[in-house]
Amino acid sequence: MVRTADPTNLSTYEPILLRHVGVPEARTLEGYRARGGYKAAEKALTQMSADDVIDEVKRANLRGRGGAGFPAGVKWSFLPKDRTVTYLCVNADESEPPTFSNRVLMENDPHALIEGTIIAGYATRATTAYIYMRGEFWEQFHIVQKAIDEAYAAGILGKDIFGSGYGLNVYIHRGGGAYVCGEETGLIESIEGKRGWPRIKPPFPAIEGLFRKPTVVNNVETLCNVPHIIERGADWFLGIGPEGSSGPKLFCISGPVKKPGCYEWAMDISLRELIEDPRFGGGMRDGKKVKAVFPGGISMGVVTGDELDMKMNFTDPAKFGLLGLGTAAAVVVDDSIDIRTVIRNVARFFSHESCGQCTQCREGTSWMFKMTDRLAGNLGRREDLDLLAEVSGNMGMMPGMSICGLSDGAAFAIKTVIKKFRSELEECIARENPEAVKIALEVVN
Amino acid sequence: MTKIIINGTEVETREGIPVLQAALEMGLNVPHYCYHPGLSVVASCRLCLMEMKMPHPKTGEMGWAPKLMPSCQTPVRDGMEVRFDSEAVKRNQRNCMEFFLLNHPLDCPVCDQAGECLLQDYSYQFGDSTSRMVDPKYVNPKKDLGPKTLLYANRCVMCTRCVRFADEVAGTGELCVTNRGSKAEIDVFPGKALDNPLQGNVVDICPVGCLLDKDFLFKQRVWHLHSGDSICPGCATGCAVRVDQNENVIYRLKPRYNPGVNDWWMCDEGRFGWKYAQDATRLNRVITRRGEAVESLDWAGLPQTVRFRFAEVTAEHGDASIAIVLSPFMACEEAWLVATALRKIAPNAALVLGPVPLREQDEVFPKGATNGDAKFTISKERCPNRRGIERIIGALGGPTLTFAEFSENGGKGEIKGAWISGGYPEKWVDKELAKAADKIEFLVVHDLFASELCAPAEIVIPACPFTERAGSFMNIAGKLQPFEWAVKPADGCKRDGQFLQELAEITGIYQPESVRKLMAKQMPEFAEVAAPPKMPEHQH
Repeated sequence: MVRTADPTNLSTYEPILLRHVGVPEARTLEGYRARGGYKAAEKALTQMSADDVIDEVKRANLRGRGGAGFPAGVKWSFLPKDRTVTYLCVNADESEPPTFSNRVLMENDPHALIEGTIIAGYATRATTAYIYMRGEFWEQFHIVQKAIDEAYAAGILGKDIFGSGYGLNVYIHRGGGAYVCGEETGLIESIEGKRGWPRIKPPFPAIEGLFRKPTVVNNVETLCNVPHIIERGADWFLGIGPEGSSGPKLFCISGPVKKPGCYEWAMDISLRELIEDPRFGGGMRDGKKVKAVFPGGISMGVVTGDELDMKMNFTDPAKFGLLGLGTAAAVVVDDSIDIRTVIRNVARFFSHESCGQCTQCREGTSWMFKMTDRLAGNLGRREDLDLLAEVSGNMGMMPGMSICGLSDGAAFAIKTVIKKFRSELEECIARENPEAVKIALEVVN
Repeated sequence: MTKIIINGTEVETREGIPVLQAALEMGLNVPHYCYHPGLSVVASCRLCLMEMKMPHPKTGEMGWAPKLMPSCQTPVRDGMEVRFDSEAVKRNQRNCMEFFLLNHPLDCPVCDQAGECLLQDYSYQFGDSTSRMVDPKYVNPKKDLGPKTLLYANRCVMCTRCVRFADEVAGTGELCVTNRGSKAEIDVFPGKALDNPLQGNVVDICPVGCLLDKDFLFKQRVWHLHSGDSICPGCATGCAVRVDQNENVIYRLKPRYNPGVNDWWMCDEGRFGWKYAQDATRLNRVITRRGEAVESLDWAGLPQTVRFRFAEVTAEHGDASIAIVLSPFMACEEAWLVATALRKIAPNAALVLGPVPLREQDEVFPKGATNGDAKFTISKERCPNRRGIERIIGALGGPTLTFAEFSENGGKGEIKGAWISGGYPEKWVDKELAKAADKIEFLVVHDLFASELCAPAEIVIPACPFTERAGSFMNIAGKLQPFEWAVKPADGCKRDGQFLQELAEITGIYQPESVRKLMAKQMPEFAEVAAPPKMPEHQH
């Protein structure tokens, strides 16, 4: 079980998203309702129009928690006005290493997800919602499915919810465990029963998504925020955290810290606080030092131990050369670990998970893995570092080389490690036996 | 009129087509693998990326966009400006070619595609001569996809054209991609085989040597092949094909681009159905029968002999007892030459359309398509030129007979002299016809293979298959399509057109255009033929 915010130290902050962690009865419909659940959904469905809900969420500037940070309300308003069918997809694929915030939410508060889904479905006029859950979430699948069954039995899902005339059906679609199915169009293809290859855009899912109909894809955490915005208002939401990064946020921290886990806070803490504050990571274990941190899931890139003052919000990471906040799941690398094994592991992940569609990502990720594998095996060459930098610079949506953004992630992880740890990598290469490298490469070629 | 600027040159093009298509049509060599005009756009090979001018998101000022755009996915809009000659575009092409070859085995010396391979061409034109990868290559397996096609996964560039073809054109969807990343492979779904009637096209559209035709495997290096533009005689659709031969031996048939008829495709029956043209049992000499004796005849005197004997029979029995059977496998020119030649001798000779082999129904693709949205049709009429022959019989006027009437009248002994053209690739003589042939006093048979007609015939003339002839076929839609010969007539044979021209007492070398000019005096629609347009040079 993942440890969560310390309930004894809530003098300054009351958990919102994680309020039901450690409250097993909240998993049941009865327990959830007893603690004020489904009030927001009832309010939205009976007292507000769909456009009111969108406006409120837009005003709250709820930015997507899945990684890209696109404002959810704006996303909803992209749907064509004259649509007849709309689909809502809930992205519970959570495949970014080392992220586990959606998992915590689904395990502890499945009804909050359903409530958020109902409100989002009402706002987008969707009558069917699919929760796309990664295949490895077996236990979580059963928890959420049980909650869905309860909700159906109580008339909270199905036809005419809360007497509002609005009906919603929710289905869980279990994925096969592919990283790329967390990309929204890859997810859509996967729900359609096809290979999870991201689609070319335009058309964007809001115009032509699932089954070629207007579709909204939202992350679990994003949707779990929606009931609170409806219940307490956008102003309350805007009051939490800095401007542009408002609202509660879940942070995951893993690696050799004293208290790895999923924590909730406003987006005004720094990476250092997340690691060292006793409320969160609690400092490094066994007197180790921070060497590197991947603060937003590995795809956002790396910061060094000297860059821990980075704020965990939507704007600061870019100043440190990162792709973005990502999933705000920090993995700490301590000073006993060879950076070559880290980069190898990262490259291995992306070469295994590249979907194989776009040339640069398909071939580039496997090439990078081969190079980093050799580096980690003491057979690196200095020119490999330049080559790694060049190959990673030739990938991704930003230079226009790929259909989806996942290859940007693959590139950024490698690119930032090479950039920020170049001297260490060069030292490692300098220590190698050049004869051995030469012989090894001759064997291959 | 839509105008766009490509590489600083203004070109006229069509609104909404991919920019890549517009660039190819202006003659630009833009490298591309996954884009095919007959398939959906996936924009996954990332080779055709271009720079494009766009309004600045804040100032609205037009300027080059910071990132490259896939030209296959970007539709033409009036006034847009793009370029393929910038350093960023060229760098991407260079990088792509390096990426494509990272795990490629470089086995060109033993690869069938070598010589017509887009990996070779693009690597030479856009790539570097060396690879910077020093690590071992991934090895993907060789696979049997079906009875006619092999897959060398190592050589694949993952353009997925074959998968899209099976899904979108054939509609049978046997193919898929398995695994991920560099280990992604094309495969058939478990328990299925690539065995649809159009499957051979996946080999054509494969830009590299990944998909291979077992029938052609290791038979020829493609640079030895010479091509003749022909029309497939397999059915009335009239697919434009290319006959590839070396030293008068045919090795394969490939479809030619022919919009509105076969587009880029052809069926397997046509693709592999030409083997009869090189069959050793073909008739290969002119035979004449005098009483019990059988003699070989020389081609030189043959036209005169035929004319003389027809004149004799006409004089004896009258011209109403003469019939000319024109085969739907004949070219229009050939049929017209026979008919005019013999009508000169017997003006009231009856014209007969030979039997038209029929199947129950057309086969339409994608599977399950209604006729309106069909992308390819295999016609139920198993001959190429029924329309043309009917047109000629109609235009020449005079007495006609149906084939059934011909057999019946012949059986009753009413027909004294007859010319029968065959040319069918399969056995075609039925009992009635054989019975009628026995009763015909003077019978000339012009056919590919020996049949029951040869014994009663006085003169048997060997015909040539479509690969050795030239002329035009009128397809089921009434389109008159020209075809050329690809190989010389087999030993002992003579090009049908040449012989029939001599029979019609027209001097000179047989040229279908000249004959069509003569025909056009009676039938103006033969003045012009519809040769398919050429694909842009760098389209594939």
